[in-house]
Amino acid sequence: MTGIQERLATGKGKFTPLYPELGTGPVSYEDSISQEFFEAERDAVFRRSWLKVGRVEQVPRTGSYFTRDLPGLGSIVVVRQADGSVAAFHNVCAHRGNKVVWQEHPGEETKGFCREFSCKYHGWRYGLDGRVTHVTNEEQFFGLDKSALGMPRVHCDTWAGFIFVNFARDAEPLSGFLGDRMLELESYPFGEMTQHFGYKTRIKGNWKLSIDAVLEWYHPPYVHGRFIDPDVSKAEKLVPPVDAYHYDIFEPHMLTSVPGPPPLPPREPGALGPARRDQKWVYRLFRAGLFGPDDVPDVGPLPAALNKGRINSWGNDSFWLFPNFSFQIWARNFYITYQYWPESLDSHTYELDIYFPPPRNAQERLAQELVADSTIEFAMQDSNTVEATHSALATRANGKFHLSDQELLIRNFHKVIRDAVAAHQSSGER
Amino acid sequence: MTNQATTLPESFRELEPYVADWALPTRQERYDMRLSKTIDELGEFYDAIAPRAEEAIGYLNELDLNDLPDDATRLLHLLYSMVLVSYPVNVFKQPRIPDSGAAFFDTVAEPSV
Repeated sequence: MTGIQERLATGKGKFTPLYPELGTGPVSYEDSISQEFFEAERDAVFRRSWLKVGRVEQVPRTGSYFTRDLPGLGSIVVVRQADGSVAAFHNVCAHRGNKVVWQEHPGEETKGFCREFSCKYHGWRYGLDGRVTHVTNEEQFFGLDKSALGMPRVHCDTWAGFIFVNFARDAEPLSGFLGDRMLELESYPFGEMTQHFGYKTRIKGNWKLSIDAVLEWYHPPYVHGRFIDPDVSKAEKLVPPVDAYHYDIFEPHMLTSVPGPPPLPPREPGALGPARRDQKWVYRLFRAGLFGPDDVPDVGPLPAALNKGRINSWGNDSFWLFPNFSFQIWARNFYITYQYWPESLDSHTYELDIYFPPPRNAQERLAQELVADSTIEFAMQDSNTVEATHSALATRANGKFHLSDQELLIRNFHKVIRDAVAAHQSSGER
Repeated sequence: MTNQATTLPESFRELEPYVADWALPTRQERYDMRLSKTIDELGEFYDAIAPRAEEAIGYLNELDLNDLPDDATRLLHLLYSMVLVSYPVNVFKQPRIPDSGAAFFDTVAEPSV
């Protein structure tokens, strides 16, 4: 074993057998290439789950709003109410169905601040509670009960500063959906990490394949080989051993924890050495790398719910919320969110957002720039692999695939999605 | 260069030839510039700024990050560009990320400074 592997090995056995309901056999990827499954999944999963749509920092005061155009689900308006709560409405006018809130391009999302929403078509107005407050030439209508009219409400609630909506007619409470294991994280200082870098891309592949690509730590020496060492046989020796990670499943959600390098000690003056074409020199210069800044900002006490697997040299915890959202809390006091929105069977958008505490000086700001850039350089490689996977799977030339122990969360992820579809279909709901 | 005006802090005037291309305020502009250059051009910029980078960070650290004068802001933007070209120059040996195909992230939010 190499140094890193000796240092991080735990001697733990395999994880998958701890979850007998997952099985260990080959799997089908029909759930990612079948149009029929895709449509069933939209009904069973996306139309009846709590979906994260934003952060409370996006709606700082009464009347602050943003819209989200969620593929296959519709456009919604999310707005801060006078009582401090956050509400969501279908972005549809009660008059003739026009999209109420948009700017310049009807298909693009927007944000802003207002006292009332006003429909661009015939000037109907809506209060922040979504109810109609003004009908142009009201006397021209027939038996109109204005008080009963509004933009239809969408269930909306917040947790740890994340805003969630649920398109179901009857939605279970958000806290019940999250469950005790997630609720333990509520005290994490998400709200103090207001330094925000946000990125978005579209990927030609089923959305679940994108999630698969970051649920395991089997791929790094190959997909990201050049970051680690251009010589694959060397790269393989520079990644943590398979038993260094931690996995946990609390259906329908799950967790993966990874080790990471400890921060560099403070640098003595003159210790950097002359400039070199060497990325390790760049990391030392800016005092940061993929795993975060070396000068870790103090954000106060952290919840005991982090690194519950007690892995050595903890790097981060990635919590996966059913169905399409992950927040990844890093040991060096920042967090990243990942979200995947299916557009069609073979296309989805991918949103990656990085949040740091505000930097106190240029050194801290530049360290954040390096972390953000490194994250994106890696993520682009992951994304492109998805396109290659989808196009090959879709040929159905092969129908049986094999998952190793390191890929147990992939096994679980597809199972909970398939289970949700099956449960919905057997309940006969539409 | 020494007789010409500089738009950077005086002690960094030797980097003035890189201001027009690389002192760009947004990631999108910097990334577009990276893709428009050859790897040799990226290497030339990297080799010019890397030896001055530690000193530049020290200079900027003495200032209020949220109230930087324009010349210091340009220097900071050059350092952001150095971050962005470091992977191509040191790791990829090409402007694009290897095997990234059509994948490209649009920047939808970034700090104002």
